[in-house]
Amino acid sequence: MIKITNLEKTYRTEDVETTVLHELNLQVQEGEFVAVMGPSGCGKSTLLNILGLLDDPDAGSFVFDGKETVGYSERRRAELRKHAIGFVFQSFNLIDELTVYENVELPLVYTGVPAAERKQRVKEVLDKMRIMHRRNHYPQQLSGGQQQRVAVARAVVNRPRLILADEPTGNLDSSNGNEVMDLLSELNEQGTTIVMVTHSEHDARYSHRIVRMLDGQTVAENILT
Amino acid sequence: MLRHYLTVTVRNLLKHKLIAGINLFGLTTGLTCCLLILAYILHETSYDRRVPEAERIYRVTRDFYNPDGAATLQLSAVAPVVGPLLKNDFPQIEKITRLLLFSPVVVRHADRILTEDSLMFSEPAFLDMFAVRMLSGDARTALSEPNSLILEQSAARKYFGDQDPMNQELKLDGRIACKVTGVYQGLPENSHLHPAVLVSFSTLNDSTVYGERNLRTSWSNNAFHTYLQLPAGYDARQLEAQFPAFLDRHQPQNKRATDYVRPSKMTALQLQRLTDVHLHSNRADELEPNGDVNRVYIFGIIALFVLLIACINYMNLSTARAALRAKEVGVRKVVGAQRSEIILQFLGESVLITAVATGLAVGCTVLALPWLSRLAGTALPPQLLWQPAVLLGLLVLPLVVGVVSGLYPALFMSSFQPQQILKGFTKISGGLAFRRVLVVVQFVVSIGLLVSTAVVGLQLRYLRQAPLGYDRAQIVTLAYPLPLRPQYEAFGQALQQQAGVQALARSSRIPTGRLLDASDAAAGIGDSLRPTSANVKYLGIDEGFLPTYGIKLAAGRNFDPKAFPTDTLGFILNATAVRMIGWKSPAEAVGQAFRYGGVLGRVLGVTQDYHFESLHQPIVPMVMFLSSATSRSSYNYVSVKLAGGNVAGSLQHLERTWKEFLPDEPFTYTFLDESYAKLYQAELRQTLLFSIFAGIAILIACLGLFGLSSFAITQRVKEIGIRKVLGASTSTIVMLLSSDFMKLVLVAALLAFPLSWYVMHRWLQDFAYRINMPWWVFPLAGLAAAGVALATIVSQTVSVARANPVKSLRTE
Ligand SMILES: Nc1ncnc2c1ncn2[C@@H]1O[C@H](COP(=O)(O)OP(=O)(O)OP(=O)(O)O)[C@@H](O)[C@H]1O
Ligand SMILES: [Mg+2]
Repeated sequence: MIKITNLEKTYRTEDVETTVLHELNLQVQEGEFVAVMGPSGCGKSTLLNILGLLDDPDAGSFVFDGKETVGYSERRRAELRKHAIGFVFQSFNLIDELTVYENVELPLVYTGVPAAERKQRVKEVLDKMRIMHRRNHYPQQLSGGQQQRVAVARAVVNRPRLILADEPTGNLDSSNGNEVMDLLSELNEQGTTIVMVTHSEHDARYSHRIVRMLDGQTVAENILT
Repeated sequence: MLRHYLTVTVRNLLKHKLIAGINLFGLTTGLTCCLLILAYILHETSYDRRVPEAERIYRVTRDFYNPDGAATLQLSAVAPVVGPLLKNDFPQIEKITRLLLFSPVVVRHADRILTEDSLMFSEPAFLDMFAVRMLSGDARTALSEPNSLILEQSAARKYFGDQDPMNQELKLDGRIACKVTGVYQGLPENSHLHPAVLVSFSTLNDSTVYGERNLRTSWSNNAFHTYLQLPAGYDARQLEAQFPAFLDRHQPQNKRATDYVRPSKMTALQLQRLTDVHLHSNRADELEPNGDVNRVYIFGIIALFVLLIACINYMNLSTARAALRAKEVGVRKVVGAQRSEIILQFLGESVLITAVATGLAVGCTVLALPWLSRLAGTALPPQLLWQPAVLLGLLVLPLVVGVVSGLYPALFMSSFQPQQILKGFTKISGGLAFRRVLVVVQFVVSIGLLVSTAVVGLQLRYLRQAPLGYDRAQIVTLAYPLPLRPQYEAFGQALQQQAGVQALARSSRIPTGRLLDASDAAAGIGDSLRPTSANVKYLGIDEGFLPTYGIKLAAGRNFDPKAFPTDTLGFILNATAVRMIGWKSPAEAVGQAFRYGGVLGRVLGVTQDYHFESLHQPIVPMVMFLSSATSRSSYNYVSVKLAGGNVAGSLQHLERTWKEFLPDEPFTYTFLDESYAKLYQAELRQTLLFSIFAGIAILIACLGLFGLSSFAITQRVKEIGIRKVLGASTSTIVMLLSSDFMKLVLVAALLAFPLSWYVMHRWLQDFAYRINMPWWVFPLAGLAAAGVALATIVSQTVSVARANPVKSLRTE
């Protein structure tokens, strides 16, 4: 599903150039659950942003579903993103002015799903995330775990084939964290491909494969079973 | 999708009430000002357009030239011969009509004696050309017979109450008996003339009224307002081009002139569009005071300024608030929103807010129109705005204003990169330069308006207080009707028996009016009598005039016909005349020979210059002489100087004496002070309106600044906390926060000064007597703007700067 070869990414500020990703290679198969680990600042989030088409590499190739995405227009990337990819962030990133229900509905609004079907699907996924009873609350009225469940619900409501999660348990205590990890495993078992960045060996064990990064390169892979 | 955006917009507005309130208030006020001014402009430009063939109707006007070619007199009316001769020579003229204003005139019905201010002799074609609607009587015949007249509705009520006026008799000026043959609906308010009584033109044929011969031959009585109608699509300039030849063909040569001068060298006729009369004509003897197209432009510009300032507020506050909405934009992009969708969302938001503001503004406008009507002195009904073009405009307006003010914030916010925002970059520093430019623009406009308001106000105060060279206090002016002429001496003595009356005088015109009558002058310089090139205007006065008005002599003496009967051949000049004729000093002029209008006499005295006309006009050379059988002037007014103190008592005495001498004449008086105030009324009103709108513009700008600074401060609460922990004092923090804005005000002032200097310099050129540009107004306006800005910022900063830093740090 994902094939990355010789990826390069450099950030340029006025006086310094930081090469964040260098000759990075990675493949992810359909249905896999991959955990990415590595020290802070090694480029994990950068990699994830590129996978999610939020950011552009400077060189190298990124083939998604057999198609080269490097050089895609902003427009086509947004198009691909909204149909195929869901995001979960460490800091939840819910829109404060929208209720739980409306936050989850948002991706469906942008893909142009008709209202009746939207209602049906949001209800379904809120039920699945066990947050239906809070659908009319605003994000600030929820606990961290609940907020992250809403974020997961929003990531999956469009039935994406790939979920990208950047330290999804980073802001949660262990019981809330486990709950989110269980949700992700469940989604993976139903066929969704997942790439997750984490600092926690515990969480990493939910995945099939751990990719270890150092200084912008993958340095080791552990296959778990 | 739409509902989704609507909810987000409404929740956002509710969450940031201060900023939403400022935006809504600013846009509503700005749009209200615009609509009010639009109503005023629509009214001013609608004059005479309800006349069906308005585009084809022209007024014939006449100019006179000096030998050097400069126009000395521009009249809105022409001589009586002009109309029929034009019709005769140019068959392309379809219709023509002449009007002669015959007012103020005393009109009498039975025992009711009233003064009519707007009585006109009119040819029958007037009714047809101006589409006058008859309520009774027949338009085709009502004005055909001599001694018939028709009345405007309100005039009919004034004379006859509930009675039927048809076939009743009215007596004009105590001698012309006329029969009422019709009643018509008054011309609309936005019309450049409003005759209350129309008398058949054929009445003038009677030689005791005016005389058929005069009508046929007079080239000099330029009192006949003449209108003609041309065929559709006919170019009026084509006809105008033939007027010089027309004049040379018909106008007889000036008898007194020594060499033959072609009439077209001395005078010219023009065609003026009927629809141009109100805004583009400011000639002598207009039927009613007209508007001024410059005023329309000035208010149009102010309206745009106010709207601009309100739009700038919106742009500024929305862009400033962008940081708060960065996360929203980031998340939307992550879940797949296109940039165009984000732009549309924010544009939609500003269009929605503008639409709400437009709705509110329409309501406010309807409420405020009566108030504006009173201030502007014209009726401005809300119906002015209920026309298809305006209503369509009201629908398009939110789109235009919304897009103009929302485009920058929308482009700016939609350009956020989600991966950066979501990583926690909440400080959005972009857009700052743009916001600074906008704040500078707002302050340039505000400072410019402050300077203009001050200069206009100072000039008007100067006009009100300028030394005029005569004393206008406590002077009452009255008419000088025919029956008073034989008994004037006795009337004067009866008046002066009371202590309240100090002096009285007669004259052909009174100060605050115009000086329009002129004749040929020749002055004795050395031994010879030389014609002067100066256009010397004349004024008929009696010996009481100079003392009554406190006019000082620079040389010579006042008239004294009792002691010196030959004073009837004497002249008194003003200092300007002496200078322009070429005498070295007033003293040198005294005793010299002077010939004016064919009368040869001597210069008895020279007055110091005084402002007979308004200060818009320069002082012209003038000659004063006694009215007598030989002179062409007759007295038209009596001026009475009252003592201070019991003015009401003196007025009663005046009225009693009048009634005693003139039982058949209405007693109407005017205080000269009031006439004087009227000269500057248009400007006073304009200044008042100008100041109000300028004030509103400045208020909106300050509100914007208030929002912007309060926002800047919330953004920096944490920084302030840290600085305080490190030992900064309240005052250094206030300085820190306000210095940013102060720099902008300074830049704005430097831009505003030359701009407003130029504009006000041009404005002052319109006045013959004007103040020097008051330089101190500029720094003062700059300081005022800076002061208001500083007060706005400081009021918000102090509480933040004083707060316990621990608290502000905890808010993070
Ligand atoms: N916009 C940027 N401009 C410049 N440098 C950047 C930018 N974003 C990231 N970097 C740099 O790139 C490197 C990798 O950042 P990245 O966020 O990918 O690290 P990470 O592995 O996710 O770290 P962490 O585990 O702390 O989240 C860091 O050294 C960071 O300083
Ligand atoms: Mg990271």
